[in-house]
Amino acid sequence: MIKLQTKVKVLCFAGLGEAIGKCVEIPVDSEISVSELRERLISTYPEHERSIRSCMIAVNHEYVTQETAIKTGDQIALIPPVSGG
Amino acid sequence: MLENLLRIYDKGKTFMSVDMTRYSRQILFSPIGTAGQEKLQKSRVAIVGLGALGTALANHMARAGVGYLRLIDRDFVEASNLQRQMLYDEADAEAQLPKATAAADKLRAINSSVTLDPHVTDLTWRNAEELLTGVDLILDGTDNFDVRYLINDISVKHSVPWVYGGAVSARGMTFTIRPGITPCLRCLFPHPPAPGVSETCDTAGVIGPIVQVVAAYQATEAFKLLVGATDHLETRLRHFELWMNHDTAMEVSGHRREDCPACVERRFEYLDPEDKQAKEVSLCGRETVQITPPDPDQIDLDHLEKRLQTVAKVERNPFMLRVQLDAHRLVIFPDGRILVQGTSEIPLAKSIVARYIGV
Repeated sequence: MIKLQTKVKVLCFAGLGEAIGKCVEIPVDSEISVSELRERLISTYPEHERSIRSCMIAVNHEYVTQETAIKTGDQIALIPPVSGG
Repeated sequence: MLENLLRIYDKGKTFMSVDMTRYSRQILFSPIGTAGQEKLQKSRVAIVGLGALGTALANHMARAGVGYLRLIDRDFVEASNLQRQMLYDEADAEAQLPKATAAADKLRAINSSVTLDPHVTDLTWRNAEELLTGVDLILDGTDNFDVRYLINDISVKHSVPWVYGGAVSARGMTFTIRPGITPCLRCLFPHPPAPGVSETCDTAGVIGPIVQVVAAYQATEAFKLLVGATDHLETRLRHFELWMNHDTAMEVSGHRREDCPACVERRFEYLDPEDKQAKEVSLCGRETVQITPPDPDQIDLDHLEKRLQTVAKVERNPFMLRVQLDAHRLVIFPDGRILVQGTSEIPLAKSIVARYIGV
């Protein structure tokens, strides 16, 4: 459970990291799920919405369901798919 | 060791027709051994896309003695491929050979015992079921998510494992998909990136080593699957950043997406699309539009060649018909696919095709 006004650190991979920063902090004011965090990121970086939507979100090096609650100290990673070949 | 090899020679015609000494070091690697080598030689693998990843994968599979390789690619060799697409040389680029054909020629010289089945074609919902079944494994050498989702649909529908791989810039990613056991690609990435969102090799560039890293992981996973060493398969999605000295892995086992359209709901949206009309794609960074007409196999290159000779400079080889117009060039393949070179504008490309081809 995240307490009021805590911040979640999000590691951004690949081109997204170059665009918005390799590690960004998102303030949250209550418990937040993975899908809510994605929406929060989109509202913070609206110009990168399409890129953020394409990402996989991992918590503590693990892919989790969209409903998973994020806890204080969790390591969050936002990973866009790599397309080229 | 020698006795072992001689024993293999005596085991049966299909297996002993090959000079086994060439595989001796691979057989010495105990997780493969003689039993694994025999499995590799009886295996059938489809490789989709023969660019940088695909040629590296095909090289590993052929040298390892995988018995049958189906090679699928729609493109032809260009000079800008030679920096990283390891099976091609300057002569291939000069002759603009189809990649599937050029790759098969090189692989035949590397290992003549492998059955090579090249297909110069665009993999679409029309032909995917035919081209991606009858194999034990599909390897991803493609460069876009539409075709990866198509591979994923086939994999789930027909229970064929596949190994996703992507490489761009100095970054790469790979993940092994076993339908019904692991999450599928659409569990992890439900929707393709919107057009223009993903970096491509034509926009962000790419260096050769990342291709080899990703292909090495994919090829090793392929060996494990083909010899049945499933306990040792990687259950994590791997991500590499070679230039920034960073790599990471995400555990994904056990997390199939509850509402995954492919592997949970078994709706195969890429294999059975709602819109079955002609499809056009602008090939990013290449000033080329590819058009697949509604009935591509109805195209008659002989007829077109004759008709267009009167209005344009026309070149013909067994693999394509090239039509040089004022500012554009049409490349028409026997499977009906048309490349419009010199524009990235789909409407203009369609108009040119309509004027010269009549579709």
